[in-house]
Amino acid sequence: MAAAASVASQAQALLRGRICDQGFVHSALRSSPDTNYSKLKYLVGSSVSEACNNSVLLLGPRGCGKAAVVEMVLDDLKKEHPDAISVIRLNGMLHSDDNCAMKEIARQLCLEHQLSFSKMASSDDNTEFMIDMLRECGLAHKTIIFVLEEFDLFAQGKQRLLYSLLDAMQSLTSQAIVIGVSCRLDADQLLEKRVRSRFSHRKLIFLPSSVDSLQRLMEHLLMLPKDSHLPTKYVMEYNARVTSIFSDKKFKGILNSLTDSDATTSHILRFLFRVVSYMDMDSGLLSMQSFMNALSSMQRQPKMDSLQDLSILELYILVCMHRLEDKEHSSYNFTTIMKEYKSVQDAYRTSDNYSHNICFRAFEHLLDRELISFADKKGKALEYRPVKLLISSQELAQSLKLNTICPAVLQKLLDRERYM
Amino acid sequence: MDLSTPSKATSRRKPKMVASPSPMSPATPSTVRRSLRLLETPTKVPSETPVKPTSTPKRKRAAPSPKTPIQPEPKRQRRQPKKRAYYLKVVYDGGEFAAGDDVYVKRREGAESDADESEEEMCRVCFRAGVAVMVECDVCLGGFHLRCVRPPLRRVPEGDWACPYCTAERAGKAIERPKPPEGKRIMRTAKEKLLSSDLWAARIESLWREPDGIFWAKVRWYIIPEETAAGRQPHNLRRELYRTNDLGVIEMETILRHCYVMSPNEFKDANDDGDDVFYCEYEYDINWHNFKRLADIDDEPETKEDPSDEPYNAGNEYNSDTDEDSEYDEEEEPTKCSSAGKNQAHELAANLWKGRIYGLQKIGIRKIPEHVRCHQKTELEKAKATLLLATLPKSLPCRDNEMEEISAFVKDAICNDQCLGRCLYIHGVPGTGKTMSVLAVMRRLRSELESGNLRPYCFIEINGLKLASPENIYKAIYEQLSGHRVGWKKALHFLTEHFSGGTKVGKQANKPIILLIDELDLLLTRNQSVLYNILDWPTRPNSNLVVIGIANTMDLPEKLLPRISSRMGIQRLCFGPYNYQQLQEIITSRLKGIAAFEEQAIEFASRKVAAMSGDARRALEICRRAAEFADYRIKQSGHTSVNRGKNVVCMGDIEAAIQEVFQAPHIQVMKNCPKFGKIILVAMVHELYKSGLGEVTIDKLAATVISWCHANRELLPGYDTLLKICCKLGESKIILCEEGTKHKLQKLQLNYPSDDVSFALKESPDLPWLSKYL
Repeated sequence: MAAAASVASQAQALLRGRICDQGFVHSALRSSPDTNYSKLKYLVGSSVSEACNNSVLLLGPRGCGKAAVVEMVLDDLKKEHPDAISVIRLNGMLHSDDNCAMKEIARQLCLEHQLSFSKMASSDDNTEFMIDMLRECGLAHKTIIFVLEEFDLFAQGKQRLLYSLLDAMQSLTSQAIVIGVSCRLDADQLLEKRVRSRFSHRKLIFLPSSVDSLQRLMEHLLMLPKDSHLPTKYVMEYNARVTSIFSDKKFKGILNSLTDSDATTSHILRFLFRVVSYMDMDSGLLSMQSFMNALSSMQRQPKMDSLQDLSILELYILVCMHRLEDKEHSSYNFTTIMKEYKSVQDAYRTSDNYSHNICFRAFEHLLDRELISFADKKGKALEYRPVKLLISSQELAQSLKLNTICPAVLQKLLDRERYM
Repeated sequence: MDLSTPSKATSRRKPKMVASPSPMSPATPSTVRRSLRLLETPTKVPSETPVKPTSTPKRKRAAPSPKTPIQPEPKRQRRQPKKRAYYLKVVYDGGEFAAGDDVYVKRREGAESDADESEEEMCRVCFRAGVAVMVECDVCLGGFHLRCVRPPLRRVPEGDWACPYCTAERAGKAIERPKPPEGKRIMRTAKEKLLSSDLWAARIESLWREPDGIFWAKVRWYIIPEETAAGRQPHNLRRELYRTNDLGVIEMETILRHCYVMSPNEFKDANDDGDDVFYCEYEYDINWHNFKRLADIDDEPETKEDPSDEPYNAGNEYNSDTDEDSEYDEEEEPTKCSSAGKNQAHELAANLWKGRIYGLQKIGIRKIPEHVRCHQKTELEKAKATLLLATLPKSLPCRDNEMEEISAFVKDAICNDQCLGRCLYIHGVPGTGKTMSVLAVMRRLRSELESGNLRPYCFIEINGLKLASPENIYKAIYEQLSGHRVGWKKALHFLTEHFSGGTKVGKQANKPIILLIDELDLLLTRNQSVLYNILDWPTRPNSNLVVIGIANTMDLPEKLLPRISSRMGIQRLCFGPYNYQQLQEIITSRLKGIAAFEEQAIEFASRKVAAMSGDARRALEICRRAAEFADYRIKQSGHTSVNRGKNVVCMGDIEAAIQEVFQAPHIQVMKNCPKFGKIILVAMVHELYKSGLGEVTIDKLAATVISWCHANRELLPGYDTLLKICCKLGESKIILCEEGTKHKLQKLQLNYPSDDVSFALKESPDLPWLSKYL
């Protein structure tokens, strides 16, 4: 029994390792000719070997594997041309300021070529250093590849960084490639006109993959290899089980409902990680149940969940706010809510009549959970500051229905006014 | 300045004779020279004074001079009081040597005794020199008479030629080369000796006469591939040399005669320039043992520091330009130290201004990559290379009038005896060749200056976008004028003084200054003082300043304060966008002689670009991209492409390139959205038509989406799922949305026209019911 469990945990570790390894996930791309991977590799590889400058934009929604493809291409090219490629990585989140980006470029260049670096250098110095380095590296047949992640954030302000980079690339001896990675589809429209004119406008679009290719990806990731250290019998059994699950109709349904909301690779990987975590540790096999559990854990509705475990008083407050909104009170605050609450209590005489202080604490609790929020940030005491409801009426109605401890009065209050 | 040397009348060397008789083989020929130098260099003279640091490195490097190892100490004392005369050209032993010439240098002293070897090469078959035309084998470098080769050749073949022996050896056959007849030694030419490292080659950097009458030369050594750390690499040509960064001081005595070391382009054209032609493409760093391509325009820091351009006036006292040369000295030292692995602290940071020359030598590559040298370029690759923006075209078509005007303006400004300040404003959309034309004019003027038709002037080029702040322009101008760095306020002070006729800055005090400011609009500050100052200087008397400003907007002067626009707006030049004929001409002139493009393809591209922007860069990039597409297509289809005719860029490639450049990718992305994403987009269009308002809250949107899903038997999405999808769409800017923390109150708006959405989603296979809501 213990042996089986250890085999299962080994298999689990192997599968988790694979799912987290971007190289393995995307290794299927290497063989086929018409992928973004091979296009980018051709583009970068030919500019390295033919000593020309290029700039390319990789666009596509988050999670489609843009950065992973760039990494793979760079790894491959580093193997093909050892010693001839240096990579400078910048991220728009960190280096959107031109001066700081220049400093970072200088720092990475120094690091790459074992030169000493000074933090004190001015931004002019760093710019000149970069241009010098571009020339010298070009003369030595070395290519500098700039990878700019969150490219759209570099296209703010005067765009001095992009301009000086692209302008330096117009000189004959330099040998550089700028790879911009962005999830904004209009990233190239953000460039200023003289920067855009210098940009060479190669664009690669990354799209979410189709359901078929996602299923292939799942097979690629979940099938255990025959030549691993795991016992052969177990591997056979496991693979047979996975194949039978994949051919199941139910699995199709799961996959469809998963891809209906988000079909990107990273979404699928997150799903698979959960599937593997729900593996039955006794037998070491995946079952349909583990897929179902993973799916339901992927499709949590956090607002509904937090509505479920509210206290009665908090539900009262929400319902009162909702009533106020329905009565077309454009702005209301805690005191207005309390008035409404009092009137409800007066009308129905429930046992849930709490004091002002307790109500205020419940109100603050709701604020903390971000189910309601203040309409404007500052000013006035908390009681008088206008608030707003952040959940829709349908959500509220649904959660009242699901809530078992909810008094019938509340439902009535909500329903009454809906149909009145 | 031609000076013959009567003192050395003993013509031990006939002009066309080579010295050393038999190759006295040194034990390890490749290491001798270097080790000699390494032995000598570190010997520091203890009494070295900081007063004249220049002399020390030179003397240190003088060590390898094989003739008379000079003792540095006495020499210096002798030299100091007297004068050293520098010459541009020296006639020595019947040969005329000038700075910049390449020469053979003798390696050992005793090597000149007998002079019985002719420079002429013997045929490898008949072993006679003769006058008949000989052809050189590109593999073994042996010479062959045309008639001696089997089968005999009629004329010198085009391209590479290998002799029958070499071809046989390559094929793996053993073949016996003809032996020389008895009693006749094979005589080696200077070239052969050089290539077997019995001679050295060097380039003369400067020539001078010591006060004792001995002529000296400072030379830059060449090195043969075998002597480098990487050894001879398979792609090295037989006649290839590397230039080193190693300077030596030798006596003129040791110089043998001229040889010709050529750049690749010159070498290509030098088919029958004799035997002493060598090929040099790379520079070799002797400290770091790495290679670097020689720049086309030789502006290495070393050459700048050479005193060679100033003290050429014969008889001038050698006033050592101390700080420059000492810098060079220091530069040598720390690199050596750090190569020994110590003394890292002394090294200045490379990205500092002061440390800029330190360490950049390190960057060279260990071995020249093979693909660079051996790769035969296909037509498409050649086309790609010429279409690069970086490639400087030989001629600039279609901008003759503008260039004429610029050059007239500049000449007019300088040629007047009293240079009046002027200002020219050039405007035009990006990619119309503004900067390029001005630079071309300046290049032309420089060549005119060199031929002496023009007054000397000083040209300063500044790009507004490369300055950290507008005020830094003062700093940049001052630095280019004087070579010193100061803060911008101080620089402004100095410059104002300079231009208003006070104390002048820099060496070329009275030369007219031509100031080119690119991207002029970037110099706008709030009170426009920078622009005012710069444009005010030319109007001062005796300012000698000419300003050429370049910017995109046509009405920049009108946008400025009146006092500035009155100073700037007088003379203007407009670069209009190119029309399609001009673009076509530009592209075809670049592609001359390369059959890689279909005629219509070029026309299509240029028409398309002319209709859009008239940007030449864009047109070139589109053509290059199309060539890349074609190349990719050919490489993917495998090397066994049947129809060779397809290997050109056709309309399809151009169209693909244009699509990539001009078409926004949003439609493609919309088509590939997840299902709920599509429903949301369509619901937004629906709401837009219903309410007429651009904005919609997610509350409403979610209600619509859920009711649709309900009606069409789709799975019902949760509210939070919808919110997440909206945020994702907002991230890629298909829709504009507020942050997700607003939950119900989040407002959404389509970022693209609703027609695009309906076009993209009208026929989506997975949601056939969607079209009825459009």
